[in-house]
Amino acid sequence: MQAKTNALSQGFIRCHDCGYLVKTGNQSLSCPRCNSHLHARHPHSLQRTSALLFSSFLLYIPANIFPIMTVNQFGAGDPHTIAGGIVELIDSGMIPIGLLVLVASILVPSSKLIGIGLLLLCTHFRWQINARRWTVMYRIIAFVGRWSMLDIFMISILVDLVNFGEVQIIAGPAATAFAAVVILTMFAAENFDPRLLWDNQKNL
Amino acid sequence: MNSTNYDACPECDLLLKPAQLKIGEKAHCPRCGLLLSRPRKQSIERTFALSITGFILFFPSVLLPMMGITVLGDANTGTLLSGVIALFNENMWPVAIVVFLASIMFPLVHISLSLLISGHLYFKRSNRYLVTWMRWMYHLDEWIMLEVYMLGIIVACVKLMAIAPLKFGWGLYAFIALIIITTLLTSNLDNRLFWQRIEQLRKENNNAS
Repeated sequence: MQAKTNALSQGFIRCHDCGYLVKTGNQSLSCPRCNSHLHARHPHSLQRTSALLFSSFLLYIPANIFPIMTVNQFGAGDPHTIAGGIVELIDSGMIPIGLLVLVASILVPSSKLIGIGLLLLCTHFRWQINARRWTVMYRIIAFVGRWSMLDIFMISILVDLVNFGEVQIIAGPAATAFAAVVILTMFAAENFDPRLLWDNQKNL
Repeated sequence: MNSTNYDACPECDLLLKPAQLKIGEKAHCPRCGLLLSRPRKQSIERTFALSITGFILFFPSVLLPMMGITVLGDANTGTLLSGVIALFNENMWPVAIVVFLASIMFPLVHISLSLLISGHLYFKRSNRYLVTWMRWMYHLDEWIMLEVYMLGIIVACVKLMAIAPLKFGWGLYAFIALIIITTLLTSNLDNRLFWQRIEQLRKENNNAS
């Protein structure tokens, strides 16, 4: 078994787009195979990730307070928040679907915000951690993010279909905020570079 | 200058000697456990065939009605596109744009790119845009949310069933088929092989001219 070395410490940079490994001696900053810019690590990874995370954290508040949709029936409006919609699903006996929405629109975004926050703290303060475990956590965060869009797609279907004179569903301001949270956290996860976790470990 | 004898793990930057894998084998990074490569049988041929199928299926699944609902004698049907328009009409244009991109625009671009790339590789034609297409396709991958949309349809159905009877149309069946095809497509597309072939084609082209 050969010694485990980082590619960067041997002077190699892996192209972020095509995976080509380039020896950095010749100072050419673009990949010979696909022409994209070469970076040893994502540029300004921590700054970008924390900026995106902070914005999505702020937007997460209106996303949960304001109604995500309003059901108008015969002139009477009935606003629903994200949590309210889940409670209603569970009350009406649709427990599996209620749990699905609970996971996708409350558990996933909130644990994502906390998880990316922890990853940032870990790299910033150079915590000595089990890097493999933390990389798996990063992988899970990056994978589950898109599933939170479920609520937004559901609203677009409901708004379109339930549009009769007396009965109408209207999207609320929380929908915009929530969609922004999902997208910003996806960008945050994309900008975080898990290799920074490994760079900080003193004994591997 | 460039060493192709080595490889690096994209998530932990471990310097690796790439294994020569047979079909059906998988290579994981020994340090962080990431799946590094997984060669597929006839990757180019299958990607080409699946891209054609997906491209054809795309149009009925966007344009044909997916679901219909009847309330107090009034009937309404919805397509992928009409959901976007409904949001737009309510002045929710940021959300409308996001839904449009994730469920219509990006899937269409992605499937067209994979059709173009696999077509060029299948017929062994070189094209200077192949590299750019590959890069776009790689970056788009995460933003295609057809399977998330499917879950949205299921939840919407459960909510609507409480209000009124539902009907399903051909758009929905085409959409389900499209999701199956795109899932097969991503699992059959071997990025590493595609990049190698593109490079080969370019070298042959340079030698010929």
